[in-house]
Amino acid sequence: MNRREFLVGSGVVLGASAVRPTVAGAQAQPPRGHIIAGLSERMLTLDPANHYSISATSVLRHVYDPLLDVTNDDKFVPALAESWRPVNNTTWRFTLRKGVTFHDGTPFNADSVVFTLKRVRDGKLVKSFVYQDIEDVQKDGDYAVTVTTKRPFGSLPAHLTMLGMLPPIAAGSEDAFFQKPVGTGPFRFVSWTHGDHVELAANPKYWKPGIPKVEKVTVRFITELSTRAAALRAGEIHVIDRVSPDMVQTLKGTPGVKVLDTPAVEAQRWHFQLARDNVKDPRVRKAISLAIDRNVIIKDLLLGYARPVVNPVPPGLIGHTNLGQKPYDPEKAKQLLKQAGQSNLAIDFVLMKDLYPKQLEIAQAVAAMLGEVGIKVNIRNLEIATAREQRTAGNYDLFFSGWAHMPHDPDWYFGQWFTKAGAEKMTRFNDPKVEQLIAEGRVPDPKVRQQKYEEIERILWEDEPEIWPYYTVAIYAVSDKLRNFEARRDYYVLLSEVGIA
Amino acid sequence: MQSYLLRRLWQSALTLVGVSLLVFVILRVIPGDPAKMLLPEGAPPSAIEELNRELGLREPIWVQYGIFVRSVVRGDFGQSFQYRAPALRVVVERVPATIQLALTAMVLTVLVGVSIGVLAAVRRGTGYDYAGTVLAVLGQSLPNFWLGIMLVLLFGVTLRWLPTSGFQGWQYLVLPSITLAAFPTALVARLTRSSLLEILSQEYIRTGRAKGLAEPAVILRHALRNATIPLLTLLGLQIGTLLGGAVITESVFAWPGMGKLVVDAIFFRDFPVVQTVLILSATIFVAINLVIDVLYTVLDPRIRYG
Repeated sequence: MNRREFLVGSGVVLGASAVRPTVAGAQAQPPRGHIIAGLSERMLTLDPANHYSISATSVLRHVYDPLLDVTNDDKFVPALAESWRPVNNTTWRFTLRKGVTFHDGTPFNADSVVFTLKRVRDGKLVKSFVYQDIEDVQKDGDYAVTVTTKRPFGSLPAHLTMLGMLPPIAAGSEDAFFQKPVGTGPFRFVSWTHGDHVELAANPKYWKPGIPKVEKVTVRFITELSTRAAALRAGEIHVIDRVSPDMVQTLKGTPGVKVLDTPAVEAQRWHFQLARDNVKDPRVRKAISLAIDRNVIIKDLLLGYARPVVNPVPPGLIGHTNLGQKPYDPEKAKQLLKQAGQSNLAIDFVLMKDLYPKQLEIAQAVAAMLGEVGIKVNIRNLEIATAREQRTAGNYDLFFSGWAHMPHDPDWYFGQWFTKAGAEKMTRFNDPKVEQLIAEGRVPDPKVRQQKYEEIERILWEDEPEIWPYYTVAIYAVSDKLRNFEARRDYYVLLSEVGIA
Repeated sequence: MQSYLLRRLWQSALTLVGVSLLVFVILRVIPGDPAKMLLPEGAPPSAIEELNRELGLREPIWVQYGIFVRSVVRGDFGQSFQYRAPALRVVVERVPATIQLALTAMVLTVLVGVSIGVLAAVRRGTGYDYAGTVLAVLGQSLPNFWLGIMLVLLFGVTLRWLPTSGFQGWQYLVLPSITLAAFPTALVARLTRSSLLEILSQEYIRTGRAKGLAEPAVILRHALRNATIPLLTLLGLQIGTLLGGAVITESVFAWPGMGKLVVDAIFFRDFPVVQTVLILSATIFVAINLVIDVLYTVLDPRIRYG
């Protein structure tokens, strides 16, 4: 060793010992190990504002940080924003975390937030429509941002949990930037083989102490459930999402594999076409609801992997309140049909092919149940794009669908399905009273929101513009080598705090 | 020969124009709205309309086709709606995986199929023949999906000899290529057997044997070479099909090939990607057919094109 090498070497040692105490105290372990996840849905983009894909949200949450995160019990917690508060009904103020840098070393500050929010509002991106209510985004010093909105936007923090913050340098060269993006997240982006896998490596300078737990994460995209399950059972991967109830027993019987489940933020909701003569009459809708034995669907078809519905909005989200289960009463259904003068009712039940687990069996069971009360059900299992066209055209009576409240907030659901403008080309729902309450429920005050939403829910529960058959359960299977994996109710696979033995 | 080639090239060009027009029109006539598929269910109608305009789908169809043809001539197949990246790049990324799988399956098909066929023909009526027939029937009747999953469960999950899925090295090729080759191997085996049997009863074979040629020379040099002509036609068609992608095999093995890409693109109404894949695979198909037709003349000097 010559003198120069010696000096360089000792410099490293000194540098390391000087840095160590600042890294989260003594108990923090350096990241160790490699986790491989198998996700059900392919990722199409690395742009956090240009998708609403659950797998992309999962992957990109490791690379970019949003301003806020949402926990599995629906609490909004700080990420890049240390705190936030409504200044008034149309103004939000965010105080930002200091000392955070992007993976390329540039600092995170108010400019990033202003850039990211204006980009999504003004761009022609998939998420743009959500942010159209933003009037202006102003920085207030380097670490505070004020967002003013055209009308109250109480769900803004909830939506921001899904929007990763970008460095302003992405401007103007987006195509190049998203080939090798940088964020502030716990992992750096390494590579993406389209249609196959993404590689991520630990960000050693992550702002949250002790995170991430592993050096490397690979996310493979395996759309076929049996293939995903085989890879897990063979020990090639450590976690898979979207397990179907049928597959649970096989996986539970495999040594080294655990099955985890949690009630999801998703409610199944089959909507009526309210302008169609068949189901326009609330008595007919009520009869259909009474004739469906939801417990049979939950127990026999979904093998218990679903929960009875007690409100259009799943538990945990703002506005939820227990309205009691919908009864099963075929006799009363028959009476109502008689009163409504519908003796030979036939309805079209449209399905989006292969979208929901067991949907065809469930629809067939429903057809049999409705047959018992004298309603003929014509099941039309259509390719997704065709089904959605049929819905726009209004060619259906009942449409099999679910709604996952991805922002963990029901405002989007209400605004889309129960306002005239939102429902115009969907269900033709139109109730000025509900519309008024939805507008009033957009304010930031959680007490007001809770009260308005409860009022909306009571109206909907009575009017039954939709059938709410069950809340979905999210099922995952993991290797028992994983430590601290949390089955998320929003279907995300998040690995920043997960370790591996 | 030269004028024949020119004529064939001209016909090929016409075929490709026809294919492009057909694909273009069909995609836009079938129900389904690309913007609606790109945006989440909860997107307002105004956003859907705006995105459709942005994607250029609100122009009259002949204007769209004109723009498309002009760009294709420049090598630009448009932007993929789903990936928001050049469609050609999206498709070309899938080429290596597609070609590897297709070629491996093809080599397997030829080696195994021809061997089984020859053995069955030469040992006609023996156990070899019956075993060959059973294999051929199995290969043609087992659904790909089932066969693939069974192979994965046996060699991947239970024995752990081979990886279950993915695309990272040669071991990953074994199970998908066996799955993909099963059907064409059976076809090739049956065709080889029947055409070889027919030729073995010809008089020149008896002559060959009479003049004292060794049996391998009779079979391989004289009989098999003549049996190759119908085989070549079949292989030409099969390789075209394989290169176009193998949806089911790709799904079972999470193989990033062209078949799954194009099926997803059809479901999501990603017009540029569908157009690119279909035009590329039509080009390959046409080219292979041309090559096969020329190969006939090499194999059988009696075939002449004028």
